[in-house]
Amino acid sequence: MNIPFADIKKQYHSIKMEIDSAITEVLNDTAFIRGKYVTRFEDNFSTMYGINNCIGVGNGTDAIYLALKALDIGPGDEVITVCNSWISTSEVISQSGASVKFVDIDSENYNIDVNKIEAEINENTKAIIPVHLYGQPVKDFEKLIAIAKKHSLYVIEDCAQAIFAKYKNQYVGTFGDISTISFYPGKNLGAFGDAGAVISNNDDLAQKVRMLANHGQSVKHIHTYEGINSRMDGIQGNILNVKLNHILDWTSRRQEIAERYHSLLKNIDDLDIPKIDSNASHVFHLYVILANDRDKLKDYLAESGIGTALHYPTILPLLDCYKDLNYSESNFPVGFNNSKKILSLPMFPELSNDEIEYVCNKIRDFYS
Amino acid sequence: MDFIDLKAQQKKIRASLDIRIKKVLDNGFYVGGEEVGLFEKELSLFSGAKHSIGCSNGTDALMLALMALDIGPGDGVITVPFTYIATLESIAAVGATPVLVDVYDSTFNMNPDAIDRAIDESEINIKAIMPVDLFGLPARYRVINNIAKKYNLKVIGDAAQSFGASKGQKKVGTFSDITTTSFFPAKPLGCYGDGGAVFTDSDNYAKILRSLAVHGKGSDKYDNVRVGMNSRLDTLQAAILLEKISIFKDEIIMRKKVADLYREKMKHLPIKFQTIPKDYQSVYAQFSVIFNDERTRNNIQNKLKENNIPSVVYYPISGHLQSGYQYLNYKKGDFPVSEDLGSRILSLPMHPYLEEEDIDKVLRVINNNI
Repeated sequence: MNIPFADIKKQYHSIKMEIDSAITEVLNDTAFIRGKYVTRFEDNFSTMYGINNCIGVGNGTDAIYLALKALDIGPGDEVITVCNSWISTSEVISQSGASVKFVDIDSENYNIDVNKIEAEINENTKAIIPVHLYGQPVKDFEKLIAIAKKHSLYVIEDCAQAIFAKYKNQYVGTFGDISTISFYPGKNLGAFGDAGAVISNNDDLAQKVRMLANHGQSVKHIHTYEGINSRMDGIQGNILNVKLNHILDWTSRRQEIAERYHSLLKNIDDLDIPKIDSNASHVFHLYVILANDRDKLKDYLAESGIGTALHYPTILPLLDCYKDLNYSESNFPVGFNNSKKILSLPMFPELSNDEIEYVCNKIRDFYS
Repeated sequence: MDFIDLKAQQKKIRASLDIRIKKVLDNGFYVGGEEVGLFEKELSLFSGAKHSIGCSNGTDALMLALMALDIGPGDGVITVPFTYIATLESIAAVGATPVLVDVYDSTFNMNPDAIDRAIDESEINIKAIMPVDLFGLPARYRVINNIAKKYNLKVIGDAAQSFGASKGQKKVGTFSDITTTSFFPAKPLGCYGDGGAVFTDSDNYAKILRSLAVHGKGSDKYDNVRVGMNSRLDTLQAAILLEKISIFKDEIIMRKKVADLYREKMKHLPIKFQTIPKDYQSVYAQFSVIFNDERTRNNIQNKLKENNIPSVVYYPISGHLQSGYQYLNYKKGDFPVSEDLGSRILSLPMHPYLEEEDIDKVLRVINNNI
């Protein structure tokens, strides 16, 4: 059996007619830059998500950059984030001119360890960027929000992997000052190219993001801010309009797949299955186990035709681009140790029950 | 009448466009699919640039070029105020400072005579010169490159509007250390969303640019060796551009025909045109004319509008007078040519499929009201 780590073609073929006509619609209207299809998506998304503002932008990385710029964060400022995430989270902090401070992860939740944040706060700290990684909300998220409040810090929620996940029955991305989303094709809600969004209940911040993303322009030819160019394409907006109708079904299926993985893998001593916080729902963008002999297991699965991936092989502070910050492994014991054991198993809504069983059997074979 | 008619062009290539789009959809490689590489090859074939690198848009292209040249906080970049804001914005976005020089009243492009003085008077360390090929006409790169050499500066050509233009046998993409362009839908070569590209003959810059555009990646996706950004040309857009570049040569000729017709039919009027110096070929991203004064310009624009003829002022407010750039401490009067052009200029409908009768309609309104 051949089981890829992710398969976005299957999803396209399941909704081909709808997607094709959505693209045709945009072509016929030549509404390529922003325009009505992007506006329609922004409206659809904010209504469904219960948030005041949604601004379509070029990609998830730009989304965080725009959030930082909207909060006037730049040279001299410090921003706290987590040591295990995709590079975008910290890259944009450097891009803005601010300095990044990394915090270790929680050993059960794999997200930022809320109890280690306050030690990193000083008079230059302006914001915290928690990442709801793999699709699971940050544990004790309320406590993080309280810490931010106590120290007058902004909270930018990086929801690239977690939209429609809930913490205490409320969607992630609706707690902080401003939140960011990626619609990279492989995401739970993926476009057919790069796209992203910034969401916020704060109308002033949203208005500023809208201007910054379109050359700092208030009305045509009037540039109130120094901005950038980061817009969601009309084609992508309309593809997302179609996919938004399916996202809740796809999310449920991801959770169902996770349940199956749990029940088939839970008794293997050599691995840990994801622990789900009782206060939260996990949308399983990724199903990540901690495995002994990880590299050998990965090879064994590959030989068995099963695609897996690592999220992420190197924690951010130890990447070459941050070597000037002089962090070492011992600064992030949990994150560093996890990076040697993590393995992301195949996870996409179209994965069949037989395929899940096959993956789990192979894992069992490996350890038996 | 459309200012730019994307539908006429689409009609011509729709069948083959649909096939290309379908192929991308079926292949499932929506980021970094094979069409991106194929289109980059076509760009190099077309321009003669050794390396062509697709990215998200023309503004990002400028930022990538600046980052590749290691330009950032504390550095200055010489450019012009008479341009789209993206030029200044990209310099500011990497933390550097735009240092402005005025343009020629003939070509509307950077006046190299002003560069020496700007360098002398500048308190910051100038690292590069960024000329803009306004409305599709290349700037005076030979002269600008010589000045750059004298001061050991790099040159980044902002060719957002001029991809496809040439001087003699040389094409845009090969005139400076790094050249950037935009595939915004309204550009002479435009996609169906945002897109852009960076060109260089340097293997080293090309390597850095490719890394910067994908999060500063090193040998693989998860090995980030430098702080970069996310700026990629979508596979879908590359596929669309592959179809469009196949008719681009013909469209450049058609654009020139439209421009020549405009010039011929308006030569008796008190109107000035953008001078196209000997050996230069513009791609006519815009056809812009200069009236005697602001009042005449505004009046003509209103009359055109009354007759349902679109026209646009590029650019009514020069970069140095934009509110977001007041911190540069320039004031009204600092760049008299740019300010004067902005007050008298008007861009008329321009695209390869504009009919002679449309041109005549424009003419009638101008004739009757000038």
